[in-house]
This record gives sequence, C-alpha cells and structure tokens, in this order.
Amino acid sequence: MTEREPRATASGPGRVLIAVYAIFALSATARAGVQIAARFSEAPVAYLLSGLAGVVYILATIGLAGRGPGYRRLAWAAVTFELIGVLVIGTLTVFDTGDFPDDTVWSVYGRGYGFIPLVLPFVGLWWLRRTSHPG
Amino acid sequence: MIGVLEIVAYVAAAAVALYGLFTTVRNRPPDRTHRIAVGVFEAVLVLQAVIAAVRVFTGIQLPEQSTFLIYLLVSVCVMPIALQFATAEPTRWGGTVIAVGAIGTGVAVWRLHDLWAAGSG
Repeated sequence: MTEREPRATASGPGRVLIAVYAIFALSATARAGVQIAARFSEAPVAYLLSGLAGVVYILATIGLAGRGPGYRRLAWAAVTFELIGVLVIGTLTVFDTGDFPDDTVWSVYGRGYGFIPLVLPFVGLWWLRRTSHPG
Repeated sequence: MIGVLEIVAYVAAAAVALYGLFTTVRNRPPDRTHRIAVGVFEAVLVLQAVIAAVRVFTGIQLPEQSTFLIYLLVSVCVMPIALQFATAEPTRWGGTVIAVGAIGTGVAVWRLHDLWAAGSG
C-alpha cells in the first residue's frame, strides 16, 4: 500500500495565495500595532479586533506555507476563523456603525481593502480542499 | 509625496506587476528580467524612502508620523521578500507572486501619499 500524501499547499498557485496572505498579515498587524500603541483608548474593541485579524492572517500564512498535517490543520483553523470573522464583523458594521468604527480589516466586509478580505477566505478554503487529495 | 519619484514608483509598480502576470500567462518562470525590473523598482523605493525619512527627521511635522515611518519601511521590504519567494520555486506562478508584491507596494506608496498630504497641506 503506497502512502498517499496530500499535495503541498505551498506549491504552484498556492504561492500566490501565500503572497496575498503575507501582505495582509503585514498590513493588518502593522496597522493594529500603531492603533494599539498610539490611541488604544479611542476604540479598544476595534483595535483589539484589528490585532486579532493580524494574528489570524499570520497564522494562515504560516499554515499555508508549511508542509505536513499540523500546518494544514493550522491553515484550516485560521482560514475558517477568518471567514467567520469577516462575515460577523462585516455584518455588525453594516447594521450598527455606532459601536464599531470602520477601522478594522474586516469592517463592512473589508471595504477599505477592496473587499479582498471577503474573497480571500473562500479562495483559501477552496485551495485547502483542492490540495487535500493527492493529485 | 515627492512628486516625480512617486509617479515613477507607480509606473515601475505597474510595469513590474504587468510583466509578472505576462510571464505567468506565457507559462514562464521568473528570470533575469524579473530580477532587473524588481531591482530598478526597489532602487526607486529606497531613494524615495531615504528622502522622505530625512525630511521627516529634519523638520516636517506629520500628524501620523509613526504610521508614516512604518509604511515607509514596509514599502522597501516587500519586493525583496516577494522576489526571493517567487524565485525559490521556479514555476509560472513566480511572476504572479512578484505582481502581488508590486501591487501591495503600490498601495503602500499611495497610503504614504495620503499620510504625507495630511501633514504638508
């Protein structure tokens, strides 16, 4: 019986996906870092969410770039969390802008980032599914 | 920000991105031309970052100085990493990785412009 390994997520077009995730990891984390360091008291919830989004993008980048079942599980968890995050925060910010300043990556489904944060988790889940079987 | 250099940076970003996408479509891995194109783009970015940093540290007051400096740092860091990652696995997708880096860098320069304009009026 031959060992049937899933295909690597960090190969071929997967590298483009990782590049996009890495850029979002960098920009979301940098933005949250400045927000938390400079004016945390203005909107603590939004800025903590910014930081959380940054961490999720970092974990997704690491999960997709690594090889092996552990990294794949990390990628699944991070991208699923990202999808829930953008849908929940997106919906909350659309219906009630009072409590949430439009100041996180996920506000209004990522409008400030060309809605890429809304599309990215779907592409991520599709890619994880596609590479989960030997091909 | 620095008028002419900023426009040169956008043109270079667009050229690098389009060439990267072109080689993906043509099913070619990144080659010497990509390295030269990214090198020229990076030189423009470094020049812009040095001039902007000198101006910030010698008097120009910006409302969001720390944000500006972080974006400035990001603007010069992305392309070397993207080029390294793109060439590590020589497939057609390397060009698209470079294109993603160039577009991301272009957006960073655009944000720098806004942060600069907010300070210098």
